[in-house]
Amino acid sequence: MERYIHFADKVSAWFGKAFAWLILVMTFGVGYEVFVRYVLRDPTSWAFDVSYMMYGTLFMMAGAYTLSRDGHVRGDFVYRLWKPKVQAMVELVLYFIFFFPGVIALIVAGTKYASRSWSYTEVSVMSPANVPIFQFKTVIILAGVLLLIQGVAQVFRCIICIRTGAWPQYTEEDVEEMEDVLLREHEKVVLRHGSESIDVVHPQERRDD
Amino acid sequence: MTDPQIAVMMLGIFILVILLGFPIAFTLMAMGVGFGYYAYYDPERMQTLFDNRIFDLFVNQTYSVMANDVLTAVPLFLFMGYIVERANIVDRLFHTLYIASRRLPGSMAVAALLTCAMFATATGIIGAVVTLMGMLAFPAMLKARYDTSFASGVICAGGCLGILIPPSIMLIVYAATSNVSIVKLYAGAIIPGFMLAGLYMVYVVGRAVLNPKLAPKPRPEEIEDISLGQVVFQLATSFFPLAFLILSVLGAILFGLATPSEAASIGALGGLLLAACYRALTWQRLRESVYLTVRTSAMVCWLFVGSWTFSSVFSYLGGEHLISEFVLGLNMSPLAFLLMAQLIIFLLGWPLEWSEIIIIFVPIFLPLLPHFGIDPLFFGILVALNLQTSFLTPPMAMAAYYLKGVAPPHVQLMEIFKGVMPFLSMILLAMVIMYVFPGVALWLPEVFYGR
Repeated sequence: MERYIHFADKVSAWFGKAFAWLILVMTFGVGYEVFVRYVLRDPTSWAFDVSYMMYGTLFMMAGAYTLSRDGHVRGDFVYRLWKPKVQAMVELVLYFIFFFPGVIALIVAGTKYASRSWSYTEVSVMSPANVPIFQFKTVIILAGVLLLIQGVAQVFRCIICIRTGAWPQYTEEDVEEMEDVLLREHEKVVLRHGSESIDVVHPQERRDD
Repeated sequence: MTDPQIAVMMLGIFILVILLGFPIAFTLMAMGVGFGYYAYYDPERMQTLFDNRIFDLFVNQTYSVMANDVLTAVPLFLFMGYIVERANIVDRLFHTLYIASRRLPGSMAVAALLTCAMFATATGIIGAVVTLMGMLAFPAMLKARYDTSFASGVICAGGCLGILIPPSIMLIVYAATSNVSIVKLYAGAIIPGFMLAGLYMVYVVGRAVLNPKLAPKPRPEEIEDISLGQVVFQLATSFFPLAFLILSVLGAILFGLATPSEAASIGALGGLLLAACYRALTWQRLRESVYLTVRTSAMVCWLFVGSWTFSSVFSYLGGEHLISEFVLGLNMSPLAFLLMAQLIIFLLGWPLEWSEIIIIFVPIFLPLLPHFGIDPLFFGILVALNLQTSFLTPPMAMAAYYLKGVAPPHVQLMEIFKGVMPFLSMILLAMVIMYVFPGVALWLPEVFYGR
């Protein structure tokens, strides 16, 4: 089970991170469109289609990665008060009721939708450039499959937690929100200094990484 | 059971599942598909298990989120935010503003508030603003013998301004749910945003004048002796570049020079340039920003995938109709309705975060607005003001928890809450002002775009 979790985390993170770089392409691409419009007075006809496609691909492909890092928002004001074991038991049941049906529906419906689009190599109607969009619709299926793979890993996580009473640790480090990093670092400072830390003031402390 | 009753049951079950803490995006997706399967069930079409129109609806809604031109700006603004967050800009900004305002009463609080407001506007990431300022300005204020509650209120309230003052991601999300033009929303939010920041500022200076013990004047030996030229130079290198970045992004949007997503990508490019100038643009930080951007975008946009499916099934079953009949049956005046709506949103802000409230709960009120003659633009900005409180009110006062997490151990959570209270009343005051003078929000969109 642990090996499967490891495998699924890797797959999700790989796809999520690979497609994450689209944001950089998008930044420069849209910037380029603004440049050619104002400086060269020659706007492109494809930039609009390409920008929403990059946005759509980016967030769809990252759904599983976000799930693997527990990044999907939850109303956790009751949840966080429970013991890990209770959390895992509730979650295990909910995965089967509220996760898999939706994701399987996404894959099934997405397949029908995308294959129809492939059958006549559909192009976008938003602009005259005839930008193809059938590959973009395929993203729905891929995102669904990635979520399915990751969802099974999340179920395994719950099972491990029910057995051992603690959520399994991540095997690999990953980036975290700055506030989480700062909060953890601060905890370390407090632990190191004990009660004297009341007087420890670091106005100039900066995070070096 | 009739269909509308089932719709109400759907909403009830959904709220129950939220309480259990399951990721909301997937709950919405599965419930939309499940109840939709019932709603669109047609025995004549059932060749196989999957011959149900709900699947077409689901995938169409998913695709419309993927191809939504308003939401395209979300990852770009997030990316700009993460880049600016990592540009080593906060300590420079705070130090400079402190020096520039050193003659004012409560100068350090004024500087902290300004830094919070600017940094929050540029990044839009509340947690980062509050923790960074909590580690930088908060100890500095305590060291200058500022009152703990007073100092914590400044940091918490200042850090939350980022979701109100444009370019804010919350307004983009509201635009995508309500179909109000994002450009108009931005124009409308500018004056209320600055008004709230101004009210905070008046409060800080006023309290410091009335009760100098809260914010003692620095001793003469603590004031750095700096010439005017040096102050100007420092402002020019730390304050103006960021201010210029924010203003050019905003200006490009307001004057119609660029769409919000174009302006956001220009902002991200500017952020990269700024970070490079401050020698903070490392490969590591770029990677962090890229990965965090993708995760936060996925969080917000998957919520849309779920909620659009959920809400179309909900209104197909007649739930929307039932709610509006019920509310209209109460014979409320527009003011009473507005108060009720804002009160509900305020209460939802205790346990929930803004993304869930805007994407899931605000759409319940939106169809009712025309009945009461309330402008959705006006309503959206009231909501944006209101949601400032969702970070500041217990039990889920994220801003207070972040500050507590990085503050010295002797700072009590109660002291932080106590310091936040006056700022909550400022938010209330701002909402009252906006209700009495709707022009505060509506004047600027009218000037720019007419009605």
